[in-house]
Amino acid sequence: MNIKQLLLGISTLVASSIVFAAPTVDEIVNRTNYTAYYQGQDGKAKVKMTISDAQNRTRTREFVILRRDVPTTDELAGNAYEGDQKMYVYFSRPADVNKMVFLVLKKKQGLDNRWLYLPALDLVKRIAASDKRTSFVGSDFLYEDVSGRNLSADKHVLIGEDANYYIVENTPIAASEVEFSKYVMYIHKTTFLPISTEYYDKKGVKYKTYTALAVDTIDGHPTITKSEAKNLQTGGSTLMEYSSVQYDQGIPDDIFSERYLRKPPRKLLR
Amino acid sequence: MTQAKHDSPTVNPIVLFSINHPKIITWVMTLITVIIVSLAALPNFYPKELSFLPTIKVDTDPENMLADDEHARVYNQQMKTEFSLSDIVVVGVTNKNNANGVFNSKTLANIHELTQFAMGLSWPDKKHPEKTAGVISIDLLSPSTVDFIEQGGLGSVNFSWLMSEPPKTDAEALLVRERAKKIPFLDGTLISDDGEALALYIPLTDKHLSYQVREELLAKIASFGDIQESYYITGLPVAEDTFGVEMFKQMAISAPLAMLVIFLLLWWFFKRLIFVTSPMIVAMVCAMSTMGLLIITGHTIHIMSSMIPIFIMPIAILDAVHILSDFFDRYNTIRDKRETIIHVMSELFTPMLITTLTTIAGFASLALTPIPPVQVFGIFIAIGVFLAWLWSITFIPAFIVSISDEKLESFISATDKDDKKQKTLMARLLVKLGRFTYNHALLIILFTVSLVGVAAYGISKINVNDNPIKWFAASHPIRVADRVLNEHFGGTYMAYLALEVDQNSTQNADFKPALLARLETAEQQAKADEYANTGVIFTLAQQSIQNHTGDIASLSPVLEALINTGFDNASDEEFDTWDQVQLFMDSESQRDQIFKQPDALGYLADLQTYINSLEVVGKSNSLSDVVKTVHRELLLGKPEEFRIPDSSNAVAQTLITYQNSHRPHDLWHFVTPDYRKTSLWIQLKSGDNQDMDFVEKAVAKYIASHPMPHNLQANWFGLTHINVVWQEKMVTGMFESFTGSFLVVLVMMILLFRSFSWGLLSMIPLTVTVGLIYGIIGLIGKDYDMPVAVLSSLSIGLAVDYAIHFLSRAREYTERYGSWEAAVEPLFSEPAMAIARNAIVVGVGFLPLLAAPLVPYQTVGVFIASILFLAGVSSLLILPALITLMPRLFFRNLKQTV
Repeated sequence: MNIKQLLLGISTLVASSIVFAAPTVDEIVNRTNYTAYYQGQDGKAKVKMTISDAQNRTRTREFVILRRDVPTTDELAGNAYEGDQKMYVYFSRPADVNKMVFLVLKKKQGLDNRWLYLPALDLVKRIAASDKRTSFVGSDFLYEDVSGRNLSADKHVLIGEDANYYIVENTPIAASEVEFSKYVMYIHKTTFLPISTEYYDKKGVKYKTYTALAVDTIDGHPTITKSEAKNLQTGGSTLMEYSSVQYDQGIPDDIFSERYLRKPPRKLLR
Repeated sequence: MTQAKHDSPTVNPIVLFSINHPKIITWVMTLITVIIVSLAALPNFYPKELSFLPTIKVDTDPENMLADDEHARVYNQQMKTEFSLSDIVVVGVTNKNNANGVFNSKTLANIHELTQFAMGLSWPDKKHPEKTAGVISIDLLSPSTVDFIEQGGLGSVNFSWLMSEPPKTDAEALLVRERAKKIPFLDGTLISDDGEALALYIPLTDKHLSYQVREELLAKIASFGDIQESYYITGLPVAEDTFGVEMFKQMAISAPLAMLVIFLLLWWFFKRLIFVTSPMIVAMVCAMSTMGLLIITGHTIHIMSSMIPIFIMPIAILDAVHILSDFFDRYNTIRDKRETIIHVMSELFTPMLITTLTTIAGFASLALTPIPPVQVFGIFIAIGVFLAWLWSITFIPAFIVSISDEKLESFISATDKDDKKQKTLMARLLVKLGRFTYNHALLIILFTVSLVGVAAYGISKINVNDNPIKWFAASHPIRVADRVLNEHFGGTYMAYLALEVDQNSTQNADFKPALLARLETAEQQAKADEYANTGVIFTLAQQSIQNHTGDIASLSPVLEALINTGFDNASDEEFDTWDQVQLFMDSESQRDQIFKQPDALGYLADLQTYINSLEVVGKSNSLSDVVKTVHRELLLGKPEEFRIPDSSNAVAQTLITYQNSHRPHDLWHFVTPDYRKTSLWIQLKSGDNQDMDFVEKAVAKYIASHPMPHNLQANWFGLTHINVVWQEKMVTGMFESFTGSFLVVLVMMILLFRSFSWGLLSMIPLTVTVGLIYGIIGLIGKDYDMPVAVLSSLSIGLAVDYAIHFLSRAREYTERYGSWEAAVEPLFSEPAMAIARNAIVVGVGFLPLLAAPLVPYQTVGVFIASILFLAGVSSLLILPALITLMPRLFFRNLKQTV
């Protein structure tokens, strides 16, 4: 158990002992965003992605994600649940996309910076990030699912709870910019992990679900190690399996630069 | 005259029974018909209570021209599933009131709204309540739903919706056009070639929803109020559904109308309603019971089967008219209805039986064609013809004997006067005609021979072609929409060419040298990249390959085991090297992803260039266009980068970039996820089968002279191809079935007349009629389509009838009057009159079909009339002329013959 976790435990204890009541909806979504995207100062995971279509034809992609948070705090009180973040996604398989890299400099204010390195064309390409709700490498996960959606983009309402979950409904503030009308998250009460999320289209019909299929506590951080996105419109689904998840590895900041797109940090990706 | 001879009780016992018990016959016929009709009709009103009986099912699906298990159909279905292709409703939008066409803010706002509306058109599926049926919104193509790729600022590439919201200004609207024109997939498909029109492609879960979707869209468009633009809704599913609706109108209006005209003509000929009603009753009973039986047996109402009543009615009336016509003439001399009818029936029984059998043979032969709807059509008409014969020989005599003597007396005396009047008209003409045939026999034959020559030339000009869209009259909204859309766009008729690896192709036996060479390259690369212990580790892999004795498939588990052991025992540095070996193996396994290989895509692109050069092709889309477009935009949008990149890795990375879009699934319309099958979309400018046939032949030739790489093979699918397949089957099938029934009828004729020469003679009017009809079709350039093909069977059915009646009387009269010359005049009074009346009544009766909005019915109307007219004329002209020229051949045993 490290200091951070201890502090976290204390702060939770303090918060709950003082209020003696359910946390506010903002507290819930902030903690959820923290556990989903901001745990530790940095993190690394190997991911195997299996994309299936309605006819059960599958394709796989394997990649390593390196992440580093810009704010130096990992405390909720210090707004560690949001802030700028850097991501380096290195593809290893299938062989024909080996060494492909996707780099994101996520910004709390303004547009993210995104780069794509295509080794076979020896091409580094900036991607205009006008819309983050596009598919992540052809899967049923969107870029925004991988990098996280800005908390201020939605209005959050706690619409219910049961023994295990807070049920939070999120309605987009700029409705015309997204394809959904709302999404409902089922947030686990003790870990604050979004165990299940359901998206509804403009007609109010559920069209997409995300479900956590396995959770592990790694370095004290409750972590989703297997999750599935189901597209109810296409009948397709994507399974993401995380392995070798590690936090606070001291990933150097300069890795997240154009220079490292062409020359991947082999040791960090092992 | 030897009356006794004819009155001898040789008359058929069934006929005799009918004459003796007219009421029973009437009741039996009524009862049977009522039962059949109720069994067919009631389940539609009480589907639950009578669930064991089938309801009326309409089938307008051109695919059903082929049997369910027909290879072309099974393959089409399989490919449609593999490439996730659906049936599509096309909405074309034009705006003639604006210089920029539809590209103004107002029109695009309406199109955006219509798109949103269309995307919401789904309902719970009736069969699977947990699913929805309707528009497949994720595959809908509209400016509002498609992605677009372009150069962004700072050398970046921008993926975005083409039109996420309606443009606020006309300048923004023009930008939508400018962007769409740059994407080959959209140009000519979504946006018209002239840049003025747009088309929305609305895919459906089930094509049978298209009528409903169309109605909803029309209502939505109407709600826009006063608008500048015009909307045209088409697409094959819409055409099919609309056709079904029109078909019912047709059956409800045209068939009864034809019936009414026949009725009026019969009335004009026979003057007394009481005589006219009986053939009408027989015709109605036969048409209704046949359709009833069709429905009870669970068959569908198809374009072909919907024509059954129209075919049965004239045939049903033929026999009745013969009986009545004969009865008329005889009653005057015999003056006893019972004796007259016995006389008439004994005289007509055999020819009627034979004409019925020949007609049945003609239609039943259609059961031998490979086209299910045509089989059903032939079999049920054969049943109807049998019923017509049965009720004609029972009910008609029963009906006549039921008429009171007084009525008959007054009726006959009234017609006597009319008869004289008629003699001044038609009868006199016929007598003259008889004399003419006797005096100018050679002239007639020479004239016929020259006509047949012209017909033969016409037949050589016949153009085999069908087009379901052309089943609608030119002014029909469906045809108008079709014309407008095909003027603006690359064509709305989709043909698909699947390229796939031939599963039966033999594997290269000695795979090792090439594999080892590639491993060597991978090793050199790994060395260059400074992986640890490369030489040792790669050598282990190399040895494994060299020592392997089995085929290539059994090699991969061996290498996998080697790599896994390597991973387990490796140091951190060596781990990366083993990873390089595994990477090599993975890239080896990807070698069979044929459609990532630049040579396969290059071939596809060249094939496309060739196909696009064909005149009937408007446009084509393929995987190679997708790759080229994305490649160009990745490389700063330079026109010279609109090409297939040089390596399969580059292709794969281009495609994964493409999939970072809002619609990653679009790719799977062009290639399967294993990259072993691809579909090339071809947009044809017309739905003419001959155009598709032309493209298929041209492509086959191209492939023959440009062999495909990777053991690929090409197969067509899509409705346009299915149409070509059934058309080919129709042409050969019809020819075989016609030849078969021609021979059967010939044998029957030889047996009937107990003479080869008489048998052959009786086939001449039929042969001339069919020859002339198809000659005319060839000469006027009318396409040989399905209704036309079926007409040959009708010719057998009707044309031989006249010949049988004429020749059997000719024989009888020659015997009775002692010589052919003496027989000509009586032959051209009553028998010729019956034939002429028949031809006129039935022929004219079908002319109301010309007013039909559906072209197949018009075709049938015109050609039935022509067949009847030609068969009548050729029977009355050619037969006597031939007998006159060669009397010895036909009357060898007749001493009195000249």
